[in-house]
Amino acid sequence: MSSPNPTTTCLPASGSNVHKVELPENALVLAPTRQLQSLLTIIRDEKTQRGDFVFTSDRIIRLLVEEGLNHLPVISKKVTTPTGKVYDGVAFQGRICGVSIMRAGEAMEAGLRDCCRSVRIGKDEETYQPKLFYAKLPDDIANRYVLLLDPMLATGGSCIKAIEVLLEHGVEEEKILFLNLIASPEGIQKVCTRFPKLRIITAWVDEGLDSNSYIVPGLGDFGDR
Amino acid sequence: MSSHNPDDIHPSSGGTRPPLQHTRSKNMVMASHGRAPWYGPDGKNVEAYVIGIAGGSASGKTSVARAILSALNYIPTVLILSQDAFYCAHTPEEIELAFNNDLDLDHPNSIDTPLFVKCLLDLKQGKATEIPVYSFVHHQRMPEKKYIYGASVIIVEGIMALQAPELRALYDLKVFVNCDSDLMLARRIKRDVKERGRDVEGILDQYLRFVKSSYDNFVQPSSRYADIIVPGSSNQLAIELLVTHVKRQLDTRSLRFRRMLAEAGEERSKGRSRASTLVDGQNSNGSEDNVVLLEQNNQLLGIMTILRDRTTDRGEFIFHADRLSTIVVEKALTLIPCEPKTIRTPLGIDYQGLARDDRLVGISILRSGGPFSHGLRRVIRDVPIGAMLIQSDPRTGEPLLLKSDLPASIKSRDTSGEVKVLLLDSQMGTGAAAMMAIRVLLDHSIKPLNIIFLTYIITEPAIHSVHRAFPEVKIVTASIDPELSEMHIPYNSDSLSLGEGPISAGEADFATRTIPSTPSIGEEEAKEKQKPDPRDALKTEAELSSNKFKVQVKETEKLKFSRVHKRGESGEKRAWVISPGMGHIGDRYYIS
Repeated sequence: MSSPNPTTTCLPASGSNVHKVELPENALVLAPTRQLQSLLTIIRDEKTQRGDFVFTSDRIIRLLVEEGLNHLPVISKKVTTPTGKVYDGVAFQGRICGVSIMRAGEAMEAGLRDCCRSVRIGKDEETYQPKLFYAKLPDDIANRYVLLLDPMLATGGSCIKAIEVLLEHGVEEEKILFLNLIASPEGIQKVCTRFPKLRIITAWVDEGLDSNSYIVPGLGDFGDR
Repeated sequence: MSSHNPDDIHPSSGGTRPPLQHTRSKNMVMASHGRAPWYGPDGKNVEAYVIGIAGGSASGKTSVARAILSALNYIPTVLILSQDAFYCAHTPEEIELAFNNDLDLDHPNSIDTPLFVKCLLDLKQGKATEIPVYSFVHHQRMPEKKYIYGASVIIVEGIMALQAPELRALYDLKVFVNCDSDLMLARRIKRDVKERGRDVEGILDQYLRFVKSSYDNFVQPSSRYADIIVPGSSNQLAIELLVTHVKRQLDTRSLRFRRMLAEAGEERSKGRSRASTLVDGQNSNGSEDNVVLLEQNNQLLGIMTILRDRTTDRGEFIFHADRLSTIVVEKALTLIPCEPKTIRTPLGIDYQGLARDDRLVGISILRSGGPFSHGLRRVIRDVPIGAMLIQSDPRTGEPLLLKSDLPASIKSRDTSGEVKVLLLDSQMGTGAAAMMAIRVLLDHSIKPLNIIFLTYIITEPAIHSVHRAFPEVKIVTASIDPELSEMHIPYNSDSLSLGEGPISAGEADFATRTIPSTPSIGEEEAKEKQKPDPRDALKTEAELSSNKFKVQVKETEKLKFSRVHKRGESGEKRAWVISPGMGHIGDRYYIS
């Protein structure tokens, strides 16, 4: 189901993953290109201004969304080009819905809108202690593919909570794609073990968590920045 | 009627002369219309034609130069380069002398010959150059420089123009303007009193001390190097002879150019047929390495399907074109090297990261490169984006460079060597416009290694033409369409004459392009596929063209390029269409 894709790799090839953690099969990491590394360098830098931070993280999110969308099914479709030739193409199938985990996840909505027109976006409020405060989801969410947005995957607590909410609303587990900027190996393990059919797409896997459950080296509090 | 650079060129439309009288600047470029290819199919520049005009002060050099210039007004860009700009930089003592009329500016040593030779050589080889600016008011070379690019004929004038052997070696034609000393003196007094506000006493003093001896010792003797000596007054006939000669020279030059193209085309089609026996992928010259095709995953195919579908509405088209250009730009950026950089994260931990090289600029080839600049801006907010307007000449079908607005980092010789350029064009059908754009960049000393061409659709022939000339240029594309399909369209002479004018104008709007090396592609394609596509749509096309063939981009009335077919008298026209293609991207993005 998680189709092995040349642009993604199941193991982070970067030097930053010092522990060389084995990642579960349903976790995909973007190819660690030089560009991606330079983007992450910008958002990790504490000196980066807010405008640059937002712009740069939008760029990474766009890459994530493009990768995520690529896992959606397509059907073949023939179209006629303006030259009158027939082109064997594909059409997107299945409707999608973006669900952001507040409040950091909201920052990812712009990136999603860049790639998908008329995507429905729902909200899912979480706190550090995974407790549901607020959930506003489209009525027909059960029929949609869900792109769950949260930039940081640390302990995985809020993510698991959000996924549970989605499952309660009738979303099928294999129709959930969790998009994430920086993940900790622990978080990925936890989420993937709990929900083996879900797919995680992350831009980078960091070294681990510190005693405050922050990702190291990380980038600080995404929502604040 | 646009110029290459607004700062340096006094544009003038078709036949009208530039306003010569009220400009005292002796350096000028006349650009009447776009610039046709100045390079062969191998991508190498054809040298500019250089005329050197020497003669005494006030002998009438400038008027001879301008007479030649206006007689050559059918040549896209003629440059008059004055020796005055190349006076050496002076020390403060010399400046003081100059203000007292005691500085000898009439000695050969007062000219910065090495710089003069360097600039002229650059220009002759078709490169961009920066010439110094000398002010007679301050008697000093000014700190700023003047950027000059793109002249096919260069006229050098100055009293010492024939003096230095290094300069003489660069001229294709050497002219000496001969004039009686008393006439020159009379003109000089008149000019200096009127235009430079000097008194007769001072002028005569300077004349006797410097000008006279310089003329006798250096200027007059240099006349023996001249190919032709023109009288300084009543010289209409001499100028006429001169112009006839120059025209003939230019004609033979262009004939040679065409033959060169044709020969290269034949060689190439031989080469291609050999190459086609190779298994796909085993490319002998390895240029395929420099073509990066985006991974053909479901999303990309889905986007391409939407873009190619002729029923897609404009909003949808724009949205997905922007999205696709973002993906292409992201891909292209992965090809650009990064520097290691250590930063500190908000958690106080040092992180070994990478920083992007920021000497990056985008150049869009108007107008179909327009959609791409949106994508580029989405990826790098503050990237400088320049533009080149390249259209096809309605008469010959050759691409014409109408305008190039380049970022400052490219214009300056000091920085351009390290600049990385993303060249943006939404499709490359024949590669003609791309080759012209790349040639412009190379003329500005950009390294071919540092050029990345970004596009949605490219054809195989285009990859071959571009990489044959510029193997190091990288191409990033979202799809490779197999071919430009060739079609034969009956030629309708009635509508041709009518259609010519207005349609070529419309065509220009569509960011049409041409190929210098078209014959090769044409012949090749002709051999490879003899299946004329009897598309009804194209029939209407016929009215657009004379006995030239035009390549049509998509959508019937949009022409990709046109050119007079060498054997095209047969009453049919050939057209190429990228197939399946996606229609005229610029139009679909901007108009309908």
